[in-house]
Order: sequence, then C-alpha cells, then structure tokens
Amino acid sequence: MSNQLDDKPDNRVLVVGGGMGGIRTMLDLAESGHGVVLIDSARSIGGLMTQLDRTFPTNNCDLCTLSPHLSQSGRQARIELLTMTQITGLEGERGAFSVTVKTAPRYIDMEKCTACGECYKHFPDCVRFTPGLDHRAPTCMRYPQAIPQAFSIDMAACKDVQALVDICPAKAIVPNDTEKIRTIECGSIVLAPGAKVFDPKGLDYLGYSSQPDIVTSLEYERILSASGPTSGQLVRPSDGKQPKKIAWIQCVGSRGIQKGAQSYCSSACCMFALKEAMVTKERFQDSIEATIFYMDMRTFGKDYELYLQQAKERFGVRLVRCRPHSVIHKQGAEGLEIQYLPEGQSQQVYEEFDMVVLSTGFLVGDQTREMANILGIDLDSHGFAKTGSFTPVATSKPGIYVAGLFESPKDIPETMVQGSAAACMAAGDLTGKGSLSNQDEDFPPERDVSGEEPRVGVFLCDCGENIGGVLDVEKLADYAQTIPGVVVAKGVGHGCSSQSMESIASIVESQKLNRVVIGGCSPRTHEKRFQDTIRKAGLNRYLLEMANIRDQITWVHAAEPELAAKKAQSLIRMAVGAVKMARPLADSTLPMNKSVLVVGGGVAGMTAALELSGHGHKVYLAERSAKLGGNANNLRKTLEGEDVRAFVNGLVEKVKAAENITVITSAIIVDHSGIPGMFRTGMQVGPQMFYRQVEHGVTVLATGALANRPGQYLLGKSNAVITQLEMDSLIEDNPEKVKSWLNVVMIQCVGSRTPENPNCSRICCQAAVKNALRIVGLNPDARVFVLYRDMRTFGLSEDYYQEARQKGVIFVRYTQEAPPKVEQGQDGCVKVVFNEPVIGADIEVEADCLCLSTGLVADDENNEDLAMIFKLPRTKDGFFLEDHVKLRPVDLPIPGFFVAGTAHSPKNIRDSITQAQAAASRARTMLAVNEISTNSAVAKVDGQKCAACLICVRACPFSVPFINAEGYSQIDPARCRGCGVCAAACPAKAIQLMQFEDDRILAKLESLFERMVA
Amino acid sequence: MDYIQPFNRILLVGCNECVTVCSAGGRKEVGLLSSALQSAFLSAGKSIDIKEHTLERQCDPEYVEELVGMMDGVDAVVSMACGCGVQEVARRYKNKPVFPAVNTKFMGASERQGVWAERCQGCGNCLLGITGGICPIARCSKQLMNGPCGGSTNGKCEISKEVDCAWQLIWDRLKMLGQEERYLDIIPAKDWRTAGGGGPRKIVREDLAG
Amino acid sequence: MEKFEPVIVAFCCHYCAYTAADMAGSQRLDYPPNVKIIRVPCSGKVDAIHILKAFERGADGVYVAGCLEGDCHFKNGNLKAEKQVQYLKKSLDEIGIGGDRLEMVFMSAGMGELFARKAKEMTEKIRQLGPSPVHTQLEQQAKQKAS
Repeated sequence: MSNQLDDKPDNRVLVVGGGMGGIRTMLDLAESGHGVVLIDSARSIGGLMTQLDRTFPTNNCDLCTLSPHLSQSGRQARIELLTMTQITGLEGERGAFSVTVKTAPRYIDMEKCTACGECYKHFPDCVRFTPGLDHRAPTCMRYPQAIPQAFSIDMAACKDVQALVDICPAKAIVPNDTEKIRTIECGSIVLAPGAKVFDPKGLDYLGYSSQPDIVTSLEYERILSASGPTSGQLVRPSDGKQPKKIAWIQCVGSRGIQKGAQSYCSSACCMFALKEAMVTKERFQDSIEATIFYMDMRTFGKDYELYLQQAKERFGVRLVRCRPHSVIHKQGAEGLEIQYLPEGQSQQVYEEFDMVVLSTGFLVGDQTREMANILGIDLDSHGFAKTGSFTPVATSKPGIYVAGLFESPKDIPETMVQGSAAACMAAGDLTGKGSLSNQDEDFPPERDVSGEEPRVGVFLCDCGENIGGVLDVEKLADYAQTIPGVVVAKGVGHGCSSQSMESIASIVESQKLNRVVIGGCSPRTHEKRFQDTIRKAGLNRYLLEMANIRDQITWVHAAEPELAAKKAQSLIRMAVGAVKMARPLADSTLPMNKSVLVVGGGVAGMTAALELSGHGHKVYLAERSAKLGGNANNLRKTLEGEDVRAFVNGLVEKVKAAENITVITSAIIVDHSGIPGMFRTGMQVGPQMFYRQVEHGVTVLATGALANRPGQYLLGKSNAVITQLEMDSLIEDNPEKVKSWLNVVMIQCVGSRTPENPNCSRICCQAAVKNALRIVGLNPDARVFVLYRDMRTFGLSEDYYQEARQKGVIFVRYTQEAPPKVEQGQDGCVKVVFNEPVIGADIEVEADCLCLSTGLVADDENNEDLAMIFKLPRTKDGFFLEDHVKLRPVDLPIPGFFVAGTAHSPKNIRDSITQAQAAASRARTMLAVNEISTNSAVAKVDGQKCAACLICVRACPFSVPFINAEGYSQIDPARCRGCGVCAAACPAKAIQLMQFEDDRILAKLESLFERMVA
Repeated sequence: MDYIQPFNRILLVGCNECVTVCSAGGRKEVGLLSSALQSAFLSAGKSIDIKEHTLERQCDPEYVEELVGMMDGVDAVVSMACGCGVQEVARRYKNKPVFPAVNTKFMGASERQGVWAERCQGCGNCLLGITGGICPIARCSKQLMNGPCGGSTNGKCEISKEVDCAWQLIWDRLKMLGQEERYLDIIPAKDWRTAGGGGPRKIVREDLAG
Repeated sequence: MEKFEPVIVAFCCHYCAYTAADMAGSQRLDYPPNVKIIRVPCSGKVDAIHILKAFERGADGVYVAGCLEGDCHFKNGNLKAEKQVQYLKKSLDEIGIGGDRLEMVFMSAGMGELFARKAKEMTEKIRQLGPSPVHTQLEQQAKQKAS
C-alpha cells in the first residue's frame, strides 16, 4: 500500500476519490501500464457503495462484488493509496502537474497494523459506517472488508490514550502522529470525489429529526445489511420490533420544492427505493407491506423498466403517485401517519405506517467545491463539474477529468462507465511509457505436490447473509471435516475479502495443504481470485475447486433450509472428491495482437477508434453502410443546444485523417474465429462483396440501434404527424413552418414501455423537452402539450423540464390503459383527444403538428447475426448483454469484446461518447499485455492409448486435432478452445480435457452418491 | 445379459484396434457396457462385480497373456473385440467361459463419422484391379461379376434406394479413368475356394513364421 | 414411507446453462434442491459414461443443459449432446432404467427463469416416475447391510 511507485511522473495519474468510479479509473490505468496515486479523504476506500446492502438490478450483495475489486486494488504494485488525504494546491499544466496534498494523522502505523481487531474488540462499537445510527467510538474501520486493512483512531474522543496504545499487540498505535504534506507529480488528474447525501434534518414536516422510525434510504441500507448495526435484522429503531408497513418517500432533497433541496433529479433514487422495497418484500414476504410514494417513476436504465414491473407484479410493491404532504407522529399512536392526496382524488388520505424511508438524493459536498476552487475548474450552478456534451468527462481545465457523481447524479453502472472513460482520457495526456511486468513475478515458486497424499482445505464463505443467512456455515465446516482427505475445514466470512484471502493462503502454507475447496459463490466470477490466492501460497492455481453454495443453494433454496443444508453437504463432498483428482497445470502464452476491430462507424465507434488509435493501436473500423456517422447524421442539436452535425462531421474528418485507422465501409461481418488476443474476423466488403479478413486482438461493438417508427397515431398517414427526430431537423431547416404552428402535441412512450417493447427508450423525454423548448423559443405563443406517462428527465436535464413548464409547455399525464386518441382533423391538422387527470375531463386539441416520441429499438436482424457470429448473448429486447450489469457495464461476456453506444441500450450522444471512451479504456487494459495466457483447460492426448481412429479429428469444431507422424492424435494447446467434445467422443479414452478430466467428473458423481451407497 | 446371468464376477475385455476405431469395443465402449450391465443387473436386484480391461490387440497371444493375473478373480469373460479376439481369449483361457459382446459383421470403411459400410469380404482373389477399385463381391447384392442386373435404377440397387449399385459405381469410375474398355473384359466364374469354400483358411509366411 | 426425494444430476455447460443457474440465483428464483449441478465447459463434453455412471450410482434423473441452438460457443457441442442423449435414452430403456429419466434442455445465459422452471419440471417428472430401479435396489442393499 505504501510502496513507492517506480513509474515516472509523466506516466502517472492522480485519482481523487476512492469510490466505485475512482477505483475503476485506478484499476483501468494500472492495468494499462500507468502509475496511479489515489487519494481519498476517508479512512478507507470504497465510497458510498460500501454502505449499501444490495444493489439493483441484480439485488446482489455489494460488498461481495466490490471487495474483490478492492483487494485487487490493494494488490497492484503500480498503485499508491493515500487515505485521509486532500488536495491543497495545484501547479503546472496538462502533462506536468504538481499537486500538493495533505494527509491527516491516522494515529496508526499502517506498516505495523495487521488489522487484528484487538482495539476493535476492546471498543466493541467502533465500526463506524452507520451515519446517524450508531455512536462513534474511538477507533473506526468503516466496514469489515476495508482497504486499507487498518483502523483509524479519533484521538479527540479517546480518553485513555495509553490504554489504547497498550492494547495493540503490533504496537501500531502512534499517539503523536502528525499531519503530512506531500507533492505529487503527475501528467493528468481524475476527479471522482463522489457526492454527499441530502440531510433531511431541516425538513420538519417529514419528522426526520424527531422520529427515530423515519430513516434515510442509506440508513435503511445499513439496517438491512449483514454488517450493519442490527446485523441484518430488520427492526424499528424506536422499539426493536419488526415493522409491518413501510413507506418510501421519493425525491427528498431532489426535484426541488423543499427547503435546501436541489432542483435536479438524483437519478438513482427510484431504483434504489424499488430495490429496498423488493429486498424487504423478498425477505419478509406477505408479513410486510411496502409502499412507494413517487412523482415520476424514473426507471430509465437498461432493463430497469423490467425491474419496475417485477417490483409491482412479482413482489407486490405498492406504488402511489403522490408527493406526501407530511409525516406526523400522533400522540399515543404507535405508527407514523402520512398525509397525501391520491391522484385523481380531491380528498386527503391519512395512512399509518410503522417505518418511513426517505429517498434522499445526492449533492456536491463543500469539500469538493473547495477542491474545485483550488484546482480552478468551473462548476455549474449546482456545484457539479462543467463538461460538454461531446467531451463528457473533461472539465474546463485541460488535463483534469471527472467521473461519477461529481459529474452529475447517477447510479453505479454509469459511474463505472465514466470511471473507465476518465481513465482513457487521462491516459491520453501521459507522455511517458509504462511497462507491464509479468503477473506471476510476485508469486513464490510452485510447490511440487506430486506423490503427496491429498491434503484438502475446505474454506466456506458466509458472504454475509447471502450464505450465512440460510446455512449454518460452522456446521457445514464440521461436516466437511469428516470427509476423507480433508485436513482443515472452516468458515472464512467474506472469503473474497483480502483479509480472508490472506488467511486462506497462510493456512494453505502452515497446514501444507495441497488441494483447496472454496464453498462460496460462482467460479465464473471468483475462480480466478481464489486461484491467485492459492498460487500466492505456493500451490499450482489449478489445485482448486469451487462449490457454488450461494448461487445454487442459499439464493434459491432459502425456503427449505434443511434440504439446503443437505445439498450443501453434497456439493462440498463433490468438490472435495473432485479436487483430489485435480492436477497441476502449466499456463502457456502467445503473442498479443495489438490491433483493434471496431464494428460500427457511428459516434460511439468513431470515438472508440480515435481513442485507441491515439494510443498507438492499429484500428480497423468496419461500417455496414456506405457512410460514417450512424444515427447522429440525423441529429442536429443536443438538449444543451450544441451543434451535433458539426461535431459528427469533425469526427468523420478526424477518423479519415488518422493514419492508423483503416475505415472499411459497406462491410458485413460474415465469420469470426480465434481466441481473445488473436481474433480473425472476415467480412464482405463493398457492392461486389469482396471477402476481406482482419486480424485483431480485441473487438469493440458499436453497432448502434434503430430509430423506432411504429405505425401508431397516424404516423406515415398524416403529414402533420412526425417523430421527435424529424422535429429536430424541421426546427433547424424550416423554422418558419414551426413558427406558424398554434398547437403542437407530443406523445411520449410511443412504441416503448409497451407489452411488445417493455423497456424505456431513455432519450425521448429529453428529446421532447428539447424540442418543446425550441418551439416555444421560436413562437412563445405556441401551445405545446406533452402527453407523458412518467417524465424521465433524469439528472441535470430536470432543469430543462422545469424550464419548459415555466415557459408554458403543458405536461399532461396519460395511462397505458387510456392512451390519447388521434384522428384526421381539418386543414391538414390532426385531432388529439386526451384525458386531463387533474380536471378529470377529456380535452380535444386540433394540432398543427403531432410529434411522437418513438425512441430507439435494437437492430434485431443485424444484432442477431452478429451475436451468432461472435457468440454473444443479448437481452430479451435484442441489445447486447454486458458481462456484469453493475460492475462491468462495457465488457461483454466473451473476453476481448467490449460494447459502446446504443448497441448496449438506448442512450444519447453524450452517454454514447462516454461509453466509447470507456470501452477504449477497457480494451487498453487488455492490449497493454504483450502475451496472452492460453486456456489451460485444454484437451491432452495419451499417445499410448490413441488408436488414431480420426474420431477426434472429425469431432473437433475447430479442426485442431491431427494424426501426427508418430501415428497418434495431437492437439495444439494454443488452438484448443477446451470444449472437450473430442474427449467425449474418443473411443479409446485417450483424450482428457484438463480440469474436466473423466476421473474428476466421475469423482463428483461418486461423492454425490457416496451416502446412498454406503 | 442372458449369457452372463449365472455369473457374479465378470471380466470385460476391450481391444484398442479395429473395434476402438469403429466405436464398438474400445476403452470407452467397455466403460459404457460395464456401467450399463451394472445398472441393468442392479435394477433386477442383483449386484455383480465387473472388471474392465482393454488390450492393445486381442488377436495376438502376447497381448492376451496380459489377462493372466485377472483370470483368477472372475467367473466369466465378456470380450468386446471382433470374433478373432473372442476366440483368442477363449483359446488361451480354456477354463473360463468367454462370451462375445460385439456381433462382428464385416470389414468396412467409415463413410463419415459414425457410418460404416462393408467394403471387403476377404474372398482371397482380389478383383479390384479390373473393377476400378470397387468390389462387386462386397458391394453388389448379387455378387455379379460382369455388369449390373436389371434391377439397377438411377444408380441404385433394387434392394434399397439407400444402396448404390456397385456396377454403376464401377462404370462411373472406369469412365473417369478412361478405362471403359475394361468393362468389356469378361470375368470368368470365380473360384470360391479361396473365399472359404476350401475350408478354414490360413496364411503362413515361411520367412516370418520361422 | 417418507416422501420420495429424487436425486437429479444436471450437467450444465459453463457458458449458458451454468450461467443461467447463476442468474436464477441472483434473481432468487426458487427451484427444488434435488437438482445438483456439475459444470462442464460445453454440453458436448458430457460423455455417455458420465450419464450412465450417474444412473449406476443411483441418480433418479439426469439432464444435460446446453446453449440454445446456434448459440453454442463451440459451434454445435449442444447438438452433439442432444444426439447422445437421444441415443442413451434408448439404451436406458433397454437397461430397464427408462429413457424418460434422461433429458436434454437448451437455454441461454440470460434465462435464469427457464433454468429454474426446467429444474422444477424435471424434479416433478422424476417424482412422478418414482425412484430409479437402481436407486431402489441400492437402498435395499444398504438397509440389508445395516441390519
């Protein structure tokens, strides 16, 4: 953690803030060969996310997904972490900054502290990560998996300093520690300081400061969390009873009206309220009622609309559209009374709840404003860093970039995307070169375990409540201990925390274990990390087996704990049986191809191509049509008023001028082969369909989406009916016509949020507000009606929504059950009839123009072909499905593939550019290495047994095996993809697939049925 | 199944030559048959002990000798080799009943993965030199020697549309080779003694047999 | 007699079915604990012997779960697996175990819901069929040994 960087300043980036965004930036940069100094004013890194119980839309435990990232960050040699540190000064300019930082005293020597927890034990309440819900203790470590793994002390609160010093067995407590000032030389800076959460204390009518049972959403997360103050028990703070009725109140501190509130939308609160309500319903089923009071349900992210449907239909979360007037605790009453006016009714309703959760929004902290001042970057009126639509992560000062909540309110996936994008841009300012050392260098030599009797260690994670809430891990460990060959079996808490990993490694060494079983989550996500752990302990990384007792047991059999426990025993037994058969394997390497194929020449594709070519990579840019530019060719203005056409033309010029970009237009991808790092993709090019093949190491998919055009509301039948896209051009090209309009009606969600296309197209509400503002700008007397279901002007675009309302644009809500009616009117007009819910009457408008918000849909045909050729999964609605919707939003599940732009989901230009930069950054982490490790799960032939029958030669889908000069089948490990089809087909049983050898699979079966036979 | 019903301890022997190549009696098939037998007997309430072993070549005494050590513990042997292997095992281990697990059908070639077709009947008097490399003995249903019968339609044999007419194939091939005149050669009546008509056949290579 | 709890082995390919099982997990979709998953890189890797051995050891049902047609990461391993399953169903009929106890299913990585549904369906089906004859005999033998 305190290792000094060997990288030179011209190859170093300073990252401010150790939340999700900052960590992503730091890891991307480090993996791409750059040095990083990360500073955070908090005591350990992790940011806001460490306080969440689970995250949407996967409802996974966050710590489980975050902590591997943290331990990864603790491991990187080219990273320096400085906690409790702030910027105090800046000199120099892009490429050569000199930043002064101040580190507050921790009173603990980080070199000596082993995070043993002795001080914590003697001060039992010292874990400080529950703002407002626990009392502060002298030493505090924010959460159990914290990085750095050291405690910090609040000297002011400590009464007996000597007693505290004496408690520490490592003698790590330094009572006379002082503030340190340091200068950091770096080429660029990324700001990811996060945001603070709105404090509702000032809003007396919500009763937060007087009523213990009114909590903020973050506090509610802590109550739900296994590592929280109630150890995951859902109880009311006032009396410790389990609540039966919980209400969520949205937009507390956001969207304007209250004291001290912000005018913008905080973007993430609708989703986290739904998540909290769903998790609550899931855990307590019918014994609890969950109600959300909201203004507009803003579930605009990828597949978020489905999440909303799930909350309503599957979990029975009750949604009430209304901003409640107040929350009152009546004398003598047990619960809290919410007073509200339901939609379409004129009578106030009084309803009692046991607990109220306030969905508080984000705002920029004073410390962040101060830092911005020191750095000299411009902020907008809310305090967010000013950026441009086409330079979404660049601040006003060259060389300084921004990611996460400091850019604008957003959720974690978008923060992760921005973190990567900022890494890409920051790396562009570095002039120095970094080198990547071989990963294995830090590892001790491998111990030869051949000939040893199996000595198996079984380590069981509780994953907080995820496993521990259903299974008794200690009992399971007792059982595992009885399995022959098992030397050690024990619970390790969060196995993926760096502390547990270190403890596993040390047990492997001290007990001379030669095989390890991890009972925890999926090998898909965590095998690599545990392999590294045992490799660190001197074992070959393949002497490991994982039993997926979380995904396959505790998450799915929670209702049947006894059977779940039995199944857990079986899975552990199977894993032990199999691991005994595990053989050490050697990894081999091949040279990395450093070229890139970008599929799709729209804004996202061109941006990714330019970024990667800027870093010296050869880029092939394949575009299906004859022209670069994609959908953006049809766009004129952004919501903020910037000129899209000029931008796109400039981008095309730059791409054409770039020496190492080869643009291939009219290109249709037809075939694809190879392994990550050595791909080969064939395409038919031009009108003659010439076949052309390119070799590349990574692929960026930026194939875009299609403008939807459903034949509804007379679209295509009446000249008065157009789409928002057409409106955008019309306003630019024929303002006179627009000026002549008296009545304009816009209908939202045409072809979106319907049974046929259940998702939200995300861009349409902004487009409607943008065009409405331009129309009233041209003709202030024009009446513009926007018929909407939920206005989803998330984040800072809420300001434009408010502006439109102020300028007289009339927003009227309609329901899916009662959509507006449209028919041909007089003089080329159309007649629109809709219900106005406030007055409860139908209104008829003779509209000069009816503008439909039709959104974007996946290019199903094209995507289907590409998904087949590249073997990539898609979402139900046809977009490409990323590897992890939360943490790896631009990585596709096949290594070496990245996605950017609307091929991922509908989004605007700004977000497409961000994602393209992020995809470039992620691609760079792969392109930085010189060698690729080939799959070690390859097929091996026993020449002695081989009968040269050719069956494998014929069975292999990739034509790898051949009969060699010695007369037996030979399989090139570099080309073998490890499917094992040959091994299954071999009649002589001469072929075995490594890691999935027959005896290993049979051992699983034998172990599974051991009980029954014995 | 019926064969081995009375026995409790079975040795299942495979062969790593031809029967492996044709997925009939190699190591894999031995494993499968063993497991299938085990399950079948278990289902019927009987548990048997099955040992598996696959010899390099079951028709050579030296390889068959490998089984000596295993013979004591078994009541019967099931061979998954061709008939030659079955007989070789039976010859060597006279006191153990030996049963065939494979019906040896023919000498053939793989048409493609998983499809084998008869090509040679071992008649001892090879005609392939004059029939364009296609054998009328093994591949003509009637074993005609001088052209097709009247049942040859569109290149297919009258017994089934799946079967090619061997003489059609011969003619096509000769034409391709430009050796149409060979078709006119009259092949005299075949001496079937070399095909087994003269009793069990034996080949002795004096130089090798020593 | 206590309720019959069948033991079902599911061979799941890494890329689709196993991922779908993880997906079922993260979506908290309940399915019967009777199903035990064995991960393989591709459903085409599932050897006939693995399936027969499972039955020999007492499995009441086995299914092989691979990618959707055309989605196999190894071109057509899933179709090879299906052919094998169809072939083995006949063998299982001959052996007396019954081919109904073996199935092939297809799903994509995103289909957590389908994974859970198939697990339910298979468990229900096997419950209806009752214990496999091998399973019954093995249990009797075990009882005899115990007594």
